Amino acid sequence: MRLRDLIVNNRFFKSIYRTGYPDTARKRVMVVINSLALHLHPVRVPKRAVRVTYTWGLGGLSIFMFVILTITGVFLMFYYVPSVREAYWSVVSLDTSVMMGQFMRNMHRWAAHMMVLMVLLHMTRVFYTGSYKPPRDFNWVIGIVLLVLTMLLSFTGYLLPWDQLAYWAITVGAEMGGSAPFVGKQVNIALLGGFEIGQATLIRWYTLHVIFLPLLLIVVVSMHFWRVRKDGNISTPIYPAEAAPEEVRRRLQGSAPANDEMA
Amino acid sequence: MSQEQLPVTEPEQVIEDPGEKVHVWPHLVSIELVGALIFTLLLILMAIFVKAPLVDLANPEVTPNPSKAPWYFLGLQELLLHMHPALAGVIVPTAVLVLLAAIPYIDTKRAGTGVWFYSPKGIPITIFSAIYTTVWNVSLILIDEYLPAGDGSTGIAPLLISWGLPPAVGYVFVPAALMIFIPWSLAVIVKRRWDADTRELMIALYTFFLASFIVLTIIGTGFRGHGMKLMWPWQIEPPIGH
Repeated sequence: MRLRDLIVNNRFFKSIYRTGYPDTARKRVMVVINSLALHLHPVRVPKRAVRVTYTWGLGGLSIFMFVILTITGVFLMFYYVPSVREAYWSVVSLDTSVMMGQFMRNMHRWAAHMMVLMVLLHMTRVFYTGSYKPPRDFNWVIGIVLLVLTMLLSFTGYLLPWDQLAYWAITVGAEMGGSAPFVGKQVNIALLGGFEIGQATLIRWYTLHVIFLPLLLIVVVSMHFWRVRKDGNISTPIYPAEAAPEEVRRRLQGSAPANDEMA
Repeated sequence: MSQEQLPVTEPEQVIEDPGEKVHVWPHLVSIELVGALIFTLLLILMAIFVKAPLVDLANPEVTPNPSKAPWYFLGLQELLLHMHPALAGVIVPTAVLVLLAAIPYIDTKRAGTGVWFYSPKGIPITIFSAIYTTVWNVSLILIDEYLPAGDGSTGIAPLLISWGLPPAVGYVFVPAALMIFIPWSLAVIVKRRWDADTRELMIALYTFFLASFIVLTIIGTGFRGHGMKLMWPWQIEPPIGH
């Protein structure tokens, strides 16, 4: 307890967390209300909603992957040169002569795959728990947009090393886009920035990958989080009025519903 | 101009049951911290032991064989082997996204929120739908790979062409009809066998999407080798041209 007092009971700690260490119910409410990051959450949540086996934390892990990707991505941008002539060799030198270069590139790649997987699993969890139902209906649509953005982010990054894998993946991708009915040719030119894969393609996909798509994702995911709060937080069971189990009726009659999650 | 009257709908009579509540700090924050730590550790270990791929410099003259997209697009690339590229590459993914987004506007009843698999029928329906979808997918892929079509070629579309039908029949109409028939027949079976309501039908159809995605992705990743021919994972050799 001495050590805890040393860390927690001083002017500096209390200048950050004004209510001190949250060891009482009141302070636990205040720490969430007063914190920008924690304030994404309500103050209290249903006990059943924090069970790991209910959500598996998949939405949180998706955004956590995005944070890791942003940090490792900025590191990669220090060394990567988005030019057809130099891109590949800048990645080679990142792997061979940059301190922690190979590690950061590996981490970026695996976190990217993991993010796609987490988003897909999150969608599946939300589906099988019926959490897309009104009033969460539009947030499900926003979620689909986020799935598309995640895949686009991953795929635009796939091109950047400018190796055989990248080159032929975009060849297949552009051919598929080019087969779109009525607008195929236009789609193909838009994807490639011209008639063939080259510098215009690389700089286009690079810009989308490092600026436009991440910014767009931040905007859309903010709407997603906002609506999670506005639509009543993590979903809890809803029964048709006449079909609710007896114990649920009894519990609800016994206590007035708490309203502090609006805080 | 008169103000338009919104249609008056009877509000659904429901009971919400949030149950007992706990403080976010520490009960949720601690779980989030542990999750973040586990995944950070996992990623660090992966980054130490598994290298991100980097093959030869891009070379427009040499086509790698096979050339594959990242794993989450291999389901679509698998479809590409069986039908017209506009169907596999543009129309199917667009339709899938639109239909996914439409789910809450078809299944609008609030009852069933917050419960895994909805009702006692939920899990049996999910298992049946997954098996039904997998059997269809695997059978069709095997048939399209090995069905003799005369003159040494194989596949459903080449066979139909050898009968004198236009290519559009084999590459557009037959696959499109199958992609409508399989989920439709699944819905009919689930409705009759389990007397399914809208939510249970949605479970069957989402499971159809998910099982198809998984089966096609696994086959595209682990069972397609040189020339995108079907083979066992241990027979696949590293791509030529890397």
